[in-house]
Amino acid sequence: MRRMQTRQRLIVYALMALVMIFFLGPILWFILLAFRHPSEAYTLPPQLFFEPYLGNFSETFVDPGNNAPQLVSSVIVSTGATLLSLPFALAAAYALSRFAMRGKEFIMNWYISLLIAPPIVFVIPYFIVMSRIGWAGAYRAMIVTLQTLAIPFSVWLLKSFMDEVPLDLEEAAWVDGANRLAAFFRIIIPLALPGIIVTSMFTFVFSWNNVLFPLALSKQSTTTLPVGTISFFASTGVYWGHIAATAVVAMLPPMIIFLLLGRYVVRGLTFGAVKG
Amino acid sequence: MSKQKLSRRDFLKVGGAAGAALASATPLGNLARVAAQSDQTINVLTVGDPWNLALQNVTDQFTEATGITVNIETLGYEALQARLINSFLTKSADADVIAVDQMWISQMADNGWIRSLDDFISMDSDAHFDDFLPECLYSLSTWRNKVWTLPIASYAQGVMYRTDLFEAAGLDPLPASVADAGDWTWEDYFGILEQINGMDLDGTSMYGTTVIGYQPVPVVHMYTGLSASYGTRWFTQFPEAPWDFTPTINSDANVAALHDWKRLYELSPPESINYLWFDAGTRYSQGDIGMFYHWTPYFYLINNEGYLTGTPSPVVDKTATAVLPTRGAGGDQVISLGGWSLGMPSTAANQEASWQFIKWATGSEAQKAMGEVNVKGHQFADFSRQSNYDDAGLKEIYPFLDTQLEMMKLGDGKVVRPPAPIYTSLEGVYGLQINQAMTGTVSPEQALETTQILFQNILSGNQMIPYLVESFDDTLENTKALQASLSGM
Amino acid sequence: MPSRYTFQRRLPWLLLAPSVIVLLALILYPLGFALRNSFWFWNLQTSPVPLYHSGFDNYRMVFQVTPFAEALKNTLLLAGIGTFAQFWFGMGIALLLHTHLRGMGLMRALLIMPTTLAPVVAGFLFRYLLEPKGGLLPWLLEGVGFPVPPQGFLGNAGTALFSIGLVDTWQWTPFFAIVLYAGLLSISEEVLEAALVDGASAWRLFWSIALPLLRPIAAFLVMIRFMQLFNSFDLVYVLTSGGPGTASRTLSFNLYREGLVNYNIGLTAAMTWLVVIIVSVIINLYLFFIYRKREW
Repeated sequence: MRRMQTRQRLIVYALMALVMIFFLGPILWFILLAFRHPSEAYTLPPQLFFEPYLGNFSETFVDPGNNAPQLVSSVIVSTGATLLSLPFALAAAYALSRFAMRGKEFIMNWYISLLIAPPIVFVIPYFIVMSRIGWAGAYRAMIVTLQTLAIPFSVWLLKSFMDEVPLDLEEAAWVDGANRLAAFFRIIIPLALPGIIVTSMFTFVFSWNNVLFPLALSKQSTTTLPVGTISFFASTGVYWGHIAATAVVAMLPPMIIFLLLGRYVVRGLTFGAVKG
Repeated sequence: MSKQKLSRRDFLKVGGAAGAALASATPLGNLARVAAQSDQTINVLTVGDPWNLALQNVTDQFTEATGITVNIETLGYEALQARLINSFLTKSADADVIAVDQMWISQMADNGWIRSLDDFISMDSDAHFDDFLPECLYSLSTWRNKVWTLPIASYAQGVMYRTDLFEAAGLDPLPASVADAGDWTWEDYFGILEQINGMDLDGTSMYGTTVIGYQPVPVVHMYTGLSASYGTRWFTQFPEAPWDFTPTINSDANVAALHDWKRLYELSPPESINYLWFDAGTRYSQGDIGMFYHWTPYFYLINNEGYLTGTPSPVVDKTATAVLPTRGAGGDQVISLGGWSLGMPSTAANQEASWQFIKWATGSEAQKAMGEVNVKGHQFADFSRQSNYDDAGLKEIYPFLDTQLEMMKLGDGKVVRPPAPIYTSLEGVYGLQINQAMTGTVSPEQALETTQILFQNILSGNQMIPYLVESFDDTLENTKALQASLSGM
Repeated sequence: MPSRYTFQRRLPWLLLAPSVIVLLALILYPLGFALRNSFWFWNLQTSPVPLYHSGFDNYRMVFQVTPFAEALKNTLLLAGIGTFAQFWFGMGIALLLHTHLRGMGLMRALLIMPTTLAPVVAGFLFRYLLEPKGGLLPWLLEGVGFPVPPQGFLGNAGTALFSIGLVDTWQWTPFFAIVLYAGLLSISEEVLEAALVDGASAWRLFWSIALPLLRPIAAFLVMIRFMQLFNSFDLVYVLTSGGPGTASRTLSFNLYREGLVNYNIGLTAAMTWLVVIIVSVIINLYLFFIYRKREW
């Protein structure tokens, strides 16, 4: 496979071009939609060049800007879910990475097995419980329930990063008289910091993209941006301009984060199972 | 947050000016009393229908007159339903005024989630309660001899057709009034569709009509318009007492209706099986549909090329409206009457302010102001009051109001889509079966036989057959009597 | 120091405890809630509390009043074929990336973009693209003479489920591609070189060396993806609402309708358990076959 002939190269490039058009074309087309005047959403033949219209963005985010608070809510919910999951996941990942325990495999698999149940089956009990304890519509209702996804994922990924921190360093610290707790904070945390950041970024993206829990558990003042996008799909009309504008804004943070993550993407998406 | 509210106001002022004249005309007695407790705020939870846009454009007038600030939250249909059930379960005073779909009245009333408005109405003569069309109150607002809400937007159904196409085909204009519609039948309707389907009009190949096929809610909304006119009843006895919810959905009348519904679909664009309400309206306004029937808001919505685009549609001066045909010549007619009303949750913190808002928004002046709002076109003619239908200025803007009024007066929301407490479950299976029949997977007979069995199962499973709770003779006559007694007549 | 020793032995369990407790509360509680209510009559539209014990009525109702069999069939088709297609397309792209030609690094970084989207957004994106009148895809396909169903791809009973699968495949093939590419990288050059010296052709190299070495990764990816796709709800919600007819009904969509539209809590609870049991059986069968074979 090393030395390819020009013809082979051309074939590979042609195939890759098709692949890129197929996977990126729809996104670009949708981004263009956000800059089209609503009356031109379905003009055929398709116009690649047109006068950009910014009204879709200004109406949704500036004036009247009903979606601007949703952007804030999305940040609050995703950040909250990420921060809340960290202490739980760090403790569990440390235990699984550093101790010889009976049934370790079983526990690791248990975390993953929780993903078997369809998330939608949780929504109704959550809905009722949150209503009863008075959390309905509050940020904390969404932040807490998102832990069903955040904690299992973070435990797996963090463990894979902690496994890479050499045990000798920690042991050296014990010899120096530090107890486990001190060693944990002085050695593990700093050395696993890139892993912690990567894990947090993924948790943030998963929470950001989650629609089901905010759909059922938020109220208007706490609802997130993807839910705002859905609500433009009303019985009286699909307002494509607004759908596209809010969706484009909602898709940017995950895209940027994935680009920043670079080589960690594989690892994150496979829960740390593939190092990448 | 406050900054954002301010900017929304600015945005809304564009349309607000249109109805500015009304503030001086508002009766000041009660308003002044409320204004004394200034700095009040009420939260209004609404749905994203066109009337909501019109309402938001005139709400400033209410605030100016009463000093009560109004926060309007707009949600999608399902989100609103979830939110309401959620807040009722928690008994949290989440909203002071809520938009209520006609189908929710029974469950909200029976569960004590909303407050009956009877006392407010009878104590407040300037509610002009007698001005409401009894058919609208009966279809949207009454349950078990009490008024629970007041209608803010009432929809009936009627026919829209292309005058230029009719001319080219040598067809006479359709009757715009029941008085002229002596022999205007569904058979005529189908005859015309078959004639115009496939015709060429200025280079456009026309479809006879378009249906709304998306399941479950949209298809049920449109299909029941046809099937009720054919004489279909869902249950053995409802709303007359004693209630007997044994389904009658597989009746001969309904089988005939579903067969004809399939015919209608064959005369429509094939993709209309996936159409929602607005898809059908938008398709018509794009110019290749000859004639269709739909909810009356589309009488004005088709003037826009697409939803909220503000661009006039190419059919704007080539459209006329007509009354819905009957099954037999001069036969009985039942028309779907639906829409939204405003209600007060039983947990509402500030009942007096809530009532003031409900009274104001459903009142003749505010409704007129909403009709006059002109943001991206005039977008509200869904009146529920006789005085609005008599208003010369409104008739100027919406020339079809007389036809619409006649359709309203034949409307029966309790028969066409009965507001039984588990209506959504029934609608779900019904819509699915109609949709199945459209795809040809099952025959109309099979589809309705299945519906009958599913209805039976659902209704028995939910303790509706036999019905052991007390019934009430919930007829139009009784609503009229209630209206008279609450109006102090 | 026995006490310190005991503490050391208990420490990992103490560290695990908080996350386990939180997850038990968040996941087992709703399942327990569902188990209990599946034997009660409870419709939120008629009562805020369960009304009476109803035996297995709810389980019977699942089959009587919801299209359960159709939904199960569709869900299995969607998850099975979808996962299969994503795996092999992903593998193909991974092999292209593995040529290491100039520019492949950048393409790999950009390729993952569909996977970063919220599924709802992906749904809207394709609803727009597939719109029968004015959508880009039908227009392009008609232009090259490809038969477009007159009802549109989402309105035709034969293509609706396929279209949902296509959108999911669009979104998740890049995920398989870059993970399998990473897997290919981890196969040591010596193994491949040795095989080449043996005279193995490229195909044989792939089938008998690369693929078996990728097996552990592949087995894991396929399992995760199958579960996600089996449970997916967003795409059906945005694209077809299960229609036309029951052509694209899935189990998750049935759960949504009964739970969040009809508010029949008892019925939804019974359906929940049926679905959880079905998924568990499938996953356990899968693990059994995969790991039995690997040990052999």
